[in-house]
Amino acid sequence: MAGLLLKSIQRWKSSLRVGNFVNLGGLSSNLLISRSTSFFNKLPAEDIWRGVTAVSNAGKKRGRGKGTGKKIAKDLNKGQAIGIGKKTCIWPGLNAPIIRGNELLHQQKQSENIDREKNIQKIRDSMGNFKQMKINPIDRGWSGTKMPGRSIGPPDTVGEEEFTSFDTFVLENKIVFIMKGNMGRKRRYSVLSVTGNKNGLAGFALAKGPEVRTALRKSKNRAGQKLMSINLYENRTINHDFYTGFGKTKIFVSKKPDGYGLVCHRALQTICKAIGIRDLHAKIEGSTNLQHIVKAFFIGLMRQKTYQDIANESCLHIVESQMARNGYTEIKASPHMDPKNADNDRIIDFMQFTLGNKIVLRKKSVPPFYAQSMGYTKHEIKKERFRNQANVRLHKLVNNYNYNYT
Amino acid sequence: MSLFRHIRKLNALQNVRQLSSAGLKSSTLQYATDPQPQFTDAETQQLLQSMTQLQLDKVFRKRTVPDNSVHTQFMTTAQLEKEFLQTIEKAQQLLQMPPVVKIKEDTERIISKDPALKDFATTKYVFTDITFGLPQSERKVVVRDVDGTLSYATLDITKRMNQLYFPLDGRKFYTPRMFSDEQLFQRCLDEHKYEFILDRLTVQYEPYEAEFHNISAKVFEHLNESKQFDQLRSTRHFGPMAFFYAWHRCIDDLLYDMIRRDYLLNAVQLIALSYKIHKVPLDYQATLRQLEELQPSPAVKALAELRSGLRQHQAKGIENEIQTAIGKTETDFQADEISLRFIEQYIGSEHALKKVQLELAVQTLKELNLEKQQLYEGLKKAHGVQQQAS
Repeated sequence: MAGLLLKSIQRWKSSLRVGNFVNLGGLSSNLLISRSTSFFNKLPAEDIWRGVTAVSNAGKKRGRGKGTGKKIAKDLNKGQAIGIGKKTCIWPGLNAPIIRGNELLHQQKQSENIDREKNIQKIRDSMGNFKQMKINPIDRGWSGTKMPGRSIGPPDTVGEEEFTSFDTFVLENKIVFIMKGNMGRKRRYSVLSVTGNKNGLAGFALAKGPEVRTALRKSKNRAGQKLMSINLYENRTINHDFYTGFGKTKIFVSKKPDGYGLVCHRALQTICKAIGIRDLHAKIEGSTNLQHIVKAFFIGLMRQKTYQDIANESCLHIVESQMARNGYTEIKASPHMDPKNADNDRIIDFMQFTLGNKIVLRKKSVPPFYAQSMGYTKHEIKKERFRNQANVRLHKLVNNYNYNYT
Repeated sequence: MSLFRHIRKLNALQNVRQLSSAGLKSSTLQYATDPQPQFTDAETQQLLQSMTQLQLDKVFRKRTVPDNSVHTQFMTTAQLEKEFLQTIEKAQQLLQMPPVVKIKEDTERIISKDPALKDFATTKYVFTDITFGLPQSERKVVVRDVDGTLSYATLDITKRMNQLYFPLDGRKFYTPRMFSDEQLFQRCLDEHKYEFILDRLTVQYEPYEAEFHNISAKVFEHLNESKQFDQLRSTRHFGPMAFFYAWHRCIDDLLYDMIRRDYLLNAVQLIALSYKIHKVPLDYQATLRQLEELQPSPAVKALAELRSGLRQHQAKGIENEIQTAIGKTETDFQADEISLRFIEQYIGSEHALKKVQLELAVQTLKELNLEKQQLYEGLKKAHGVQQQAS
């Protein structure tokens, strides 16, 4: 019995160390058995944390543990200092000098620090979560935090050639796999980007790399090496309407007046931004494979003719009439040869000429199914007397209700 | 309820009174006699048109329109020629001047008095002939009064009925605030929006209305002070403006502007117009005839300008190049001499008011012309161009 008690006291001492509580009162009847060994005191913190945060090698290959729920090791020592604990106390030689002036300092209790626990918890909380970098709405790409549509700056300087006034935009960023003899399925990042100086000089390139960053850099620099000069009309739009295609992708591009904007696929919008085109309409038909769209558009741009070339080819004058100038006709180009004089010569349509004899199918808008119904007709009749109301209200506001009834 | 309605009606009436009293003050310069015969005279019209000039870039300048599309097409040279003629025709149409006529007085014209119909209703009845295609002036509008009198409607009612059944684009039932509020109108003037005011005026009012005369006179007076005549050049309002100044004997500022800008032919025409209107016994017609022979009319000039675009790629003669470099030809120098003589005669007469200023302008122009002529002859000699006349 005495031996047992002794043992239990020993255990009690050790259990104190691990923070267990033993009821001494009920000593004889129920004893708590505690083991002082666990992986907590056997392994270093680094290893313990790895067990929680790391992904297995096989998992890493498959790309696991990269998403939003990624766990990060916390440094539990942060915010803690030796000599400062739950209860603040002066320990001469530990957190205070032994002698202050001529006086010997003594161990001394001080007021309790209530916020300490809270502060430590706060520091730990702030460490744990993965924080996303906030992107300025202007710098954002097509969608969320994804790369496509985002600017990645001008290509790096080559020798003394600087790419000033250039800017590069990512068009596509995706993971691609290939099979290797010794590595098996190998993962790489493929990036398609377009770079341009916003003044008719642009290039695009596709590059792959083991990391996103390397792929971006490679693609950007390669695009800078493949610049094409594109002839712009009034430095804002294309020379003329054209049709272009690549693979199963067909694009009908039309020239637009000043202030129209870019009404086209987002990739084409980004390309136009890089080139410096501000007004354009494009309709993509068929496949919307991004790489094909980019290639088709660039081919179309390169194949454009100048007005002078078209005039020489057709032996006719090219004339532009602007509605904004009350239909005033302006000669844009005259052929070098003597132009056709006879009126009975068949004169081709300019758009037909530039589109390569293709005709854009303009589908008629189908009236909604209810357009013929009795209810809708009634609604239209009821609505008719209010048809000018908005206008009248506006004029009333403008004239501040001062009508001149005479 | 009916009481409320009555009060509201009274208030509305008061508003109307306030509005009509708050209209623009009448201008100081008014046509005392009917200007129409003088204005519509063929010779006057020709002078005014020539003074207006035809700058295609100004007539067909870029405006803000809902549809600003551009139409590109192929054309043969023959088609282009036709297009040029159409362009000139269109420009001339756009430059057609709003007529200057006397103010039409409202006269009561009673058709019949039918006392039997007295108190047939509490309000007047207006009957309008809405036959399609009638011109506004011929549309019959009659009013049956409460006391049974049937009479032709006043001009005001006729205009409103016309606007009601056959609305004119841009014309409003109410007076636009810029024409009723003195401050707003003054702001328009101070910002030199002369063409805008006159365009809106032409849309809103008929040329025979008092408001038309009043507002246009105010604009022209303001223009004469700000001297921004070039704003109206090559617009439809330049002719009436020149006519207004000639009628009211205040052409000197406009004349100064014309001399300064080297539009000597126009200056001569302006003086001639003023002589013609005021019946000054001076033979201006001979000078005008001489000048017309030497210098083409604005339409011909504009057509030549259009055609010059066609022959861009063709090699130009050296004489042509010299002329474009200096901007004047031999005939221009001759014409300038004749016009300067005529202008100096005017300055010397008692009709000119700002003699010193005008003399100075003429002197500067003379010196400039002399320099140009010397340069022109020097260049010709250097390039070995023979005189065609000799």
